[in-house]
Amino acid sequence: MTSGLALRKPRKPGPLISLVPMIDVMLILLVFFMVTSTYLNLDMIPALKRQEETSTSAPEAKPTETLLIRLGANGLPIVRGRSVPLEDLSGYLVARLAEAPRLQVLVLPSGGASTQALISVMDHAARAGIGRLRVIRLDAKP
Amino acid sequence: MKLTRPARNTQSETIIALIDVVFFLLVFFMLIGRMDATAPFDVDPPVAVSGQDMPAGGETLSVSRAGEVALNGVAIGTDAIAESLAAALSRDPMLRLRINAHRDADLRHVLPLIGLTETLGIRDVVLVVTPSRDSAP
Repeated sequence: MTSGLALRKPRKPGPLISLVPMIDVMLILLVFFMVTSTYLNLDMIPALKRQEETSTSAPEAKPTETLLIRLGANGLPIVRGRSVPLEDLSGYLVARLAEAPRLQVLVLPSGGASTQALISVMDHAARAGIGRLRVIRLDAKP
Repeated sequence: MKLTRPARNTQSETIIALIDVVFFLLVFFMLIGRMDATAPFDVDPPVAVSGQDMPAGGETLSVSRAGEVALNGVAIGTDAIAESLAAALSRDPMLRLRINAHRDADLRHVLPLIGLTETLGIRDVVLVVTPSRDSAP
């Protein structure tokens, strides 16, 4: 005689995966990135442009006038033999640009001038709307 | 008859929300951070108002206040710069070079590097600046 009673083995509970080690690892990674990262807000000013960028653009009209700005070792720009304070440079360039819209500016910096001085001159020229600016330097003869 | 208060079900606190927040922060820091080798000396870039957004990629040439040079965070002698840059250019003809010069570095240390890059044929050279909302100094 067979009985209708079947003994079933109770199902084993599924294995529990602990989330705690994962949280630990993630927290360690988070703290690592927060501590070791240095967040710098940096911009750039192009010093040399790609060849194709200039070649594909529309042919530029020749500048009608060229203005040479010498940059002294003290960081002061010198235009036509006269020292121009940096704060007056933008206004001066705007006035010159109004006279000659295709004005080209050449900057001849002294080797003793600081990088900040050159960047400031380039900055003021850009703010004045000068589109043609070149930095030139004198090479020593070999 | 004494009524006993039923024992409160001790619910396990959900830690899913915590994991979500931590994971979100982790991904945030990993995404917005750009790994870049820092120079072995202090470099404080010049301040400019008219700077443009810094493009990603390329090589970084750092110049210290005293004129020391480092390529991608490794100090390099002036003689070896041309060789290293030429090798980088041969690997990537569209090489972009960032010149990260200290704001007080003399131009006699910086301008020859720009001249050298031009001679080597690198056509995409940018000067690293610190953006400023105020007027430039």
